Amino acid sequence: MKASIRPYAFSALGIAGALVIWQVLATAKVAGNALPPATTVFSTLTSTLGTGTFWSALGATIGIALLALALAALAGVAIGLLVGSFESVRYATLAVLEFLKPVPPIVVLPLAVLVLGPTAEMSLFLVVFGCLLPIVMQTVDGVQGTDPVARDTARSYGMREGEILARVVLPSAMPYIGTAMRVAAPAALVVTVVAGLLGGGPGLGQSIYQAQAAGDYASLYALVIVLGVLGLLFQGATRLAERRVLHWHESYREVVP
Amino acid sequence: MRNVKIRNWVIGAGTPVLLLAAWWFLSANSTDPFFPPLQTILVRFQELWLFEHFQSDVLLSLGNLFVGFAIAAVAGIGLGFATALLPPVRWMIDPLIHFLRGIPPVALVPIFISLIGFGTQMRVTSIALAALFPTMIATVDGIRSVSNDLMDVARVYRLSRKERVLNVLLPAAMPQIFSGLQVSLQVAFIVMIASEMLGSSQGIGAMTLLAQQSFMTADMWAGILLLGVIGFLVNILFSLLKRKVLSWYIGSRRMARAA
Repeated sequence: MKASIRPYAFSALGIAGALVIWQVLATAKVAGNALPPATTVFSTLTSTLGTGTFWSALGATIGIALLALALAALAGVAIGLLVGSFESVRYATLAVLEFLKPVPPIVVLPLAVLVLGPTAEMSLFLVVFGCLLPIVMQTVDGVQGTDPVARDTARSYGMREGEILARVVLPSAMPYIGTAMRVAAPAALVVTVVAGLLGGGPGLGQSIYQAQAAGDYASLYALVIVLGVLGLLFQGATRLAERRVLHWHESYREVVP
Repeated sequence: MRNVKIRNWVIGAGTPVLLLAAWWFLSANSTDPFFPPLQTILVRFQELWLFEHFQSDVLLSLGNLFVGFAIAAVAGIGLGFATALLPPVRWMIDPLIHFLRGIPPVALVPIFISLIGFGTQMRVTSIALAALFPTMIATVDGIRSVSNDLMDVARVYRLSRKERVLNVLLPAAMPQIFSGLQVSLQVAFIVMIASEMLGSSQGIGAMTLLAQQSFMTADMWAGILLLGVIGFLVNILFSLLKRKVLSWYIGSRRMARAA
């Protein structure tokens, strides 16, 4: 066997092994009906893919996650530029931001459900709540990291403050914002699912809750598999987008030998 | 210069106080069912958590969090080392790990409920499994980024395999492992709450959601407050531990930057 294909052979072996173990455990009924066989799950998955409810749930999940991500990005960068540009604002917000940073959106989920009900707005609010702070923090770091020489040069060329912000500070903060977005995008998906699962917001989270409540374990597993694939796609897409948007920046430029 | 520093301190400490005061006075005579007076919330906070439900719910939640996180930390570092040092193992489980990582951790909770039921066991398992991946992936990355020079030196000194793993690789990968552990801790905290919110009757998360569903708004706010404080404190404690364990690393970084 050639060394170059060996990793792939082992990967295939690993996947096949996991599927076989799953199938054997399920047919032996080690967990009763709660663990359906892999074959059943995959046939359920195929039939689920043919239903309209699945696609509308998928659409709701992706739509909410992306819309909230966009809102969080706009608001986060704006707040971050504000906080990063003025020392007094930075000190004023420091304690509040540091307190809220480690508080996940699931903590305020009961409040959101109480006020907004099990709606798409509730999911949107939670995702924005979860994604906003990391973006703000990174943008502040990016603004702080702006080369003072570049800033002074811009000023001596007679640029106005707004122009400096748009042409010097923002571009130099872009890689930081890019990093924040790469972390925030998968998180947005996760929070959308959580909002559906625990708060009854529309989307795949709600479908999972219904499948579990109805004891429809094959659908439950099928939906979780869909989420796994969706999560991978989100991660891949954000990495690609980051590289596309930031290809001009030093840390992303490809080295030409 | 001194004046600016003092001014910043005053602003930094004053704003949170001002915000809390604003909340206190603006909500003082509130009849809005969603936003009860802060005073009522604090009274309920004291009645609920200090100390009527302290042992039965707060300690239970924290215990699950701690045990789940500890299992995830040990297993994550162990599996990380196994995957990084044995290429066949890495090739075999890499795709599976990446797939499992794509699944939102909270979505695994319904599966564990159906497999193990609603008990403590389910909660600890959910926490441990969900929190495993960040540590494991960080460990693998940490070991891979250990410089070859370091490993060559270790080999020249004829360190045994065990010595190389424990005395060279582990410390060198420590900074990344700790970053992974911090993410794991956050995931563990989220899954702790989620596992309690999904059909359990005990724990802070369950009590908070139950209060919301029965429109006991002040109780719900008290729960949110407690969860927020726990999230904050747990993170602070971990950061202190990290600073202590990694003091040599932080020091060497500072030296490198000063040079």
